[in-house]
Amino acid sequence: MSTEMATNCCTQPTEVNAERTRSTATYSPAVDIVESANELTVYADMPGVRPEDVEIQFENGTLTIRGNVADRQDEGTRFLRREYGVGDYYRTFQVSEVVDAGGISADYADGVLTLHLPKVAQARPRRIEVKGK
Amino acid sequence: MSLIPWRRKHEQSDVLPGRAVGALRSEFDRLFERFFGDFETAFPELSAGGAWMPSLEVSEAGNDLIVKAELPGVDARNVEVTVSGSILTISGEKRDELERRDGVTYVSERHFGRFQRSIELPAAVDADKVTAENANGVLTIRFPRTATSRPNRVKVLPGK
Repeated sequence: MSTEMATNCCTQPTEVNAERTRSTATYSPAVDIVESANELTVYADMPGVRPEDVEIQFENGTLTIRGNVADRQDEGTRFLRREYGVGDYYRTFQVSEVVDAGGISADYADGVLTLHLPKVAQARPRRIEVKGK
Repeated sequence: MSLIPWRRKHEQSDVLPGRAVGALRSEFDRLFERFFGDFETAFPELSAGGAWMPSLEVSEAGNDLIVKAELPGVDARNVEVTVSGSILTISGEKRDELERRDGVTYVSERHFGRFQRSIELPAAVDADKVTAENANGVLTIRFPRTATSRPNRVKVLPGK
């Protein structure tokens, strides 16, 4: 596996400068990115997001994941301890041409979004035949 | 950390300058000891010793006490909720068996492994009628509020 090609694949995630039309806060979900022979896999923790509220976009080499969370109804609720905030999740990544955009797929279960970014055929490891004399 | 009261009166000798500084210093010592020594229990949600702690939210709404824990990647089978007297304990394991088999990891921000957190419930609750539901990575435990203190094991139901 070529590590030199792989280090260009996903640069540091960009800052959260999404436009917001609501007043809820926006959070950057924790992710793990793993590269294997045939694909890049991105795991993002987005607890509290329903499956139908997950959005994924891939455009011009930029992958954007978004998890929309319904506004809380706070009337009548008294908070005794709040260790996490509630808001939308948003994160973008620059993805190189190693990824075959047409083959991206995603699963979402238990608050974890799993994105499968398959590599284009040329980027997968190939065995090269050595021709001898 | 309590603030040192500032006293104008000089005739009162209960707060000599030396003693005030000593009191301040021992406050700092206690704070540092708490920060560097007992870190895991003092700041449980920031524990970085390999284990991780779920973040909690405790609220009261209507007649219920609601405890929510962020547990992404943990399904109902892997979490255990116990109530004993006024102590609620949430424990379990977040597994990553399939994710690290082969391949190079470039970014690793998520935590895995066993977790356990106990909190003291702030109000008297009826442990017999507690419900727990795990949906989309958030565990929601709901107690109706009354006075009871028997230990009770809660069955966690998977969410939708």
